[in-house]
Amino acid sequence: MKLNDLSLMALSNLWKTRLRTVLTTLGVVIGIGALVSMVSFGTGMQKNVTQAFKDNDLFTSIYVTPHQIDVNAAMSGDVESLAGSLVEPAPMLSDSAVTAFQSLEGVDMAFPEIRFPVKIRLNGQETKTQAQGLPATMANYKPFADLPLGTFYSSDNEKRVILRRNVLHDLNLVLRDPEKKTQVSLEDSLKGIRSIQADSLLGMEIELITSVIDIQKMMRNPLAMLRSPGQASLKELITRVRISGIRKPFGGFEEGRYNAGVVIPIQTAQSIPRLGFSSVWDMLDQNRGSGGYGAVFVRVKDVNSVISVKEEIEKMGFGTFTIMDQLKEIQQGFLIMDSLLGAVGIIALVVAALGITNTMVMSILERTREIGIMKAIGGSEREIKGIFFIEAAIVGFLGGVFGLVLGWIVTRIANLVANAFIARQGGPHVELFYIPFWLILGAIAFSILVSLLAGLYPATRAARVDPVEALRHD
Amino acid sequence: MLLSAKNLSRTYHKGKVKINALKQVSFSVDEGEFLGIVGRSGSGKSTLLNLVGGLDTATSGQMVVSENDLTQMNRQDLARHRLRTVGMIFQSFNLIPSRTALENVTLALAFGNVPRKKRKSEAADLLCRIGLSGRLDHRPGELSGGEAQRVAIARALANQPRILLADEPTGNLDSRTSQEILDLIKNLNREEGITVMMVTHDETSCRQVAHRMIRLLDGEIVEKKSYEAAK
Repeated sequence: MKLNDLSLMALSNLWKTRLRTVLTTLGVVIGIGALVSMVSFGTGMQKNVTQAFKDNDLFTSIYVTPHQIDVNAAMSGDVESLAGSLVEPAPMLSDSAVTAFQSLEGVDMAFPEIRFPVKIRLNGQETKTQAQGLPATMANYKPFADLPLGTFYSSDNEKRVILRRNVLHDLNLVLRDPEKKTQVSLEDSLKGIRSIQADSLLGMEIELITSVIDIQKMMRNPLAMLRSPGQASLKELITRVRISGIRKPFGGFEEGRYNAGVVIPIQTAQSIPRLGFSSVWDMLDQNRGSGGYGAVFVRVKDVNSVISVKEEIEKMGFGTFTIMDQLKEIQQGFLIMDSLLGAVGIIALVVAALGITNTMVMSILERTREIGIMKAIGGSEREIKGIFFIEAAIVGFLGGVFGLVLGWIVTRIANLVANAFIARQGGPHVELFYIPFWLILGAIAFSILVSLLAGLYPATRAARVDPVEALRHD
Repeated sequence: MLLSAKNLSRTYHKGKVKINALKQVSFSVDEGEFLGIVGRSGSGKSTLLNLVGGLDTATSGQMVVSENDLTQMNRQDLARHRLRTVGMIFQSFNLIPSRTALENVTLALAFGNVPRKKRKSEAADLLCRIGLSGRLDHRPGELSGGEAQRVAIARALANQPRILLADEPTGNLDSRTSQEILDLIKNLNREEGITVMMVTHDETSCRQVAHRMIRLLDGEIVEKKSYEAAK
């Protein structure tokens, strides 16, 4: 018997027991639906993260540190080997090193990481945040290429800065929204928060306050430092700058290391007097008297040259870190997450497979005589097995297709609900689920495969029906 | 010689009890012959027919049908033997109840790999030849016993077998219909030259149609007889 004849027979058998077929298939539909929605959540997360990195040009960034830090040792708390790597004589991240990076093939720009804590004062209100010095050329890169308000500064030494919107809020100011009737809630206005026009905000002068060690004061009263070492010997210095632009309220992981509350032109930042260290690394460097920068940003022209530039820099004896390194780990993490999510779906599918086996075994018991007849008139074991296999495959195929539809519907609803929730929290719209093409084909293929496996035992059993036994008249 | 059986035995195990359904049976059938197998129920006559039909395999002995030794065949070969060499009919007809008369016959043609387009006309021809032209689209439940047995005969003949094996073909029929079916089988043998082996418990009907008969009792051949008059 030809394959299409066997298929027709299988179809007509399934049609004869419609209700049972529908119920059995429904089990597979639910299993595949669960699998698809679970896995598409995993792939959706992965896509969002990767896309966020891409959107922010983070793939073209290399973060250079003076030491080749053994990340594994640092993570596992292996202090000895970590300390060892710090004690080894390391080259200095000096200006000449920055120039050397700049001249490497494929490098767009290289600049030192300048970061320090700063106090911002406006209209008598003060708040603390991190300041970061960045070159004016960063205007071409995300997250600065598309500021929500104002423009990026255009030279490295002007006295204009970019503020984060939440810093503004900390200064008791909110931007006036022309579409809103009430600009400031009653609660906020009681706290003294007031609204401000965007036009009058841009160009407004603010004060950046930094601390330096006051040596004269220290000399005058050395005991004061012992009593309160934090403040006694510090002196505050004020730098006046103007607001050039406002960036979005909160920085996510996708902003990488460009996430400071106030961004200052790099040369202006270098000229602001401040304590010589802003991190433990800097302090360690200072103690060793090496000087130089804590870290240097290197941006390459395109993603393909990241690896070659990274290798060149490592040859010079520096440590590097790229988002690629992190992405690899993230991807491994996603693989584990996908597997866990997939496992939930697979459990549902296993239950469905047992349902198929059960239904088919029952149907073979009912059809024993018919199978006996088919054997008596010349049906071979292969053909009879084929009929049952095809029945299982059809159930698997239908289950796969409708399971995909179910999975899609579930993800749409879940996405709608989740986004309604996110919107209430003031977040942007996100697509939580992603059903890639491989998942569509994979789900159907997997469904058929599982159904065939479920049909293996019943089909074999059907093929082995003893015709003499089956035809014995009762 | 179309068929020869030598020392054919078939032993069943029912729990711990050993049943010798056939004991060292030897016989032969010539091309175009009509052999009757007579015996009481439990004498082993149906077992013998099942062995010839390839539904069952002998425990020992040898059986050659058109030069192929059935005792040496694997399951795939036996299926082919059932499809091509023999056609079987049964006391209880064994039609598939959900299929029409025509569909029961086309199923056999489908197993015989007859192209789909030809199946319907071939099956209809067969059914008409056997006198069922008006009942093609009836299901077995809507047919009388005689009609159902005719459908079964048409199905058995679908793939042009060399031997027609009939297991108590009239056992479920009234005497008038029984006579019609016997006449039909006799005709197939006499007019179309189809070799027939028919199992029956009733020697009278056997004598009407068969050339020869063998009698089985407790799994052994106890009598062999030729009906000269029948020829």
